[in-house]
Amino acid sequence: MSSDTATPAPPTDTPTAPQGERSRSSRRVSRDDLGLLLGLPALCAVLLGGWAVWRATAELDDIEARSLAWGLLVQLFGEHLLLTALSAAAVVLTAIPLGIALTRPAARRAAPAVVTVANFGQAAPAIGILILLAMWLGFGVPVAVLALSLYAFLPVLQNTIVGLQGVDQTLVEAARGMGMSRWSVLGRIELPLALPVIMAGVRTALVLAVGTAAFATFINAGGLGSVITTGLYLFRNSVLISGGLLIAVLALLVDWAGRVLELVATPKGMR
Amino acid sequence: MLEFVLDRAPDLAYRSFQHVSLVVQCVLLATVIAVAVALLVTTVPRLKPVANFVSSVGLTVPSLALLGLMLPVVGIGTLPSVAVVTFYAALPILRNAVVGLEGVSGNLLESARGMGMNPLLTFLRVQLPLAWPVILAGLRVSTQMSMGVAAIAAYALGPGLGGWIFTGLAQIGGQNAVNYALTATIAIVVLALLLDLLLRVLGRFTISRGISA
Repeated sequence: MSSDTATPAPPTDTPTAPQGERSRSSRRVSRDDLGLLLGLPALCAVLLGGWAVWRATAELDDIEARSLAWGLLVQLFGEHLLLTALSAAAVVLTAIPLGIALTRPAARRAAPAVVTVANFGQAAPAIGILILLAMWLGFGVPVAVLALSLYAFLPVLQNTIVGLQGVDQTLVEAARGMGMSRWSVLGRIELPLALPVIMAGVRTALVLAVGTAAFATFINAGGLGSVITTGLYLFRNSVLISGGLLIAVLALLVDWAGRVLELVATPKGMR
Repeated sequence: MLEFVLDRAPDLAYRSFQHVSLVVQCVLLATVIAVAVALLVTTVPRLKPVANFVSSVGLTVPSLALLGLMLPVVGIGTLPSVAVVTFYAALPILRNAVVGLEGVSGNLLESARGMGMNPLLTFLRVQLPLAWPVILAGLRVSTQMSMGVAAIAAYALGPGLGGWIFTGLAQIGGQNAVNYALTATIAIVVLALLLDLLLRVLGRFTISRGISA
């Protein structure tokens, strides 16, 4: 992204990287990316394996054993993943169509305004948005999904717009000249070419969602955040560390899945 | 809500000050750490993949998870806030500092040496000024992010406006719950935008004339 937008860049490498680096995803897999693609699952396996061994062998007191019961943790893990998946799906289904609409000739002039408004929203702390929404609409999973989606909306919208704007206009004209309709130009030329950038946005959205989903427990929407609150309230360091570790591992796995998705989605001709 | 704010104006002002001061101090600390590490990474190129791995993986770790991992080590209060905010603030700056320092052409470094500059002088008068715009861009990203992270760190009784958000949550259904959460959230947004403006102005004055076309 250009360095003068007033946004907190979403927490991934892409947006903070200055100009020269951004097109990296559209080139061949660099060594750094390869390191991450292989290193992330290895790191997760080590962390998770080490933790599981500790959990299976450590002598836990009553409270610890109850808050770290296998069944409970698996359930929370699932809830966390579901929250992440639902909000990512909601974002993909809304932000990409909006991004496409905003790059069509009819609406092109509105795009900067929409992005500016979205930027302002992004400066709001996630925890504040989540809690305010819960006060307004009530507690529970749907509100958590809404809050997470709002938070993860901007990167996908912005990357969709940037990706589509980055498509060489001569290619679009050539396709039109060959007699393709506007829709087939969009589907067969513009979207495939913009896909790497769009997918980078989707990965950012996934990472934001999985991190924010940790707060879902504050509004009774489940997820692994509750392990941390339990650990804090009951003053059990082992529970606190387990919670932090499990959330971190889940986030890293989601990030990894996003990277794989990014790679798979890149059309063959662009790798 | 106006009444609510007026009633608590001193507290609001104090918390805003705490919040901004926490973020500014942590970002300063993070800048020093990140630039030092970046300098190390650019002089020992073999470390570069490690730095890139740390900065992308680090930003993936959710702040609440890091807070949970940090609390047993540093206890509750201000210290975990400082640790967590500094950690996240350092990563974007590190990334940008590496790119910025790498962008300084080798010819310039050689000329500097040829002119008799020692490594410290070369860093201060050649490398840092040339890399500064990129580092500053990272600094702005860090500052915006830190404002939000500082709010979360308040969960472990850290300082700043985040405390009001959690007060609101705890008093939910009560008369002032929404006021607490809304005031704090708006204040954080406004302060974040003000800080960003300040950093832009700082850029005007600190980016070397020769490269700010």
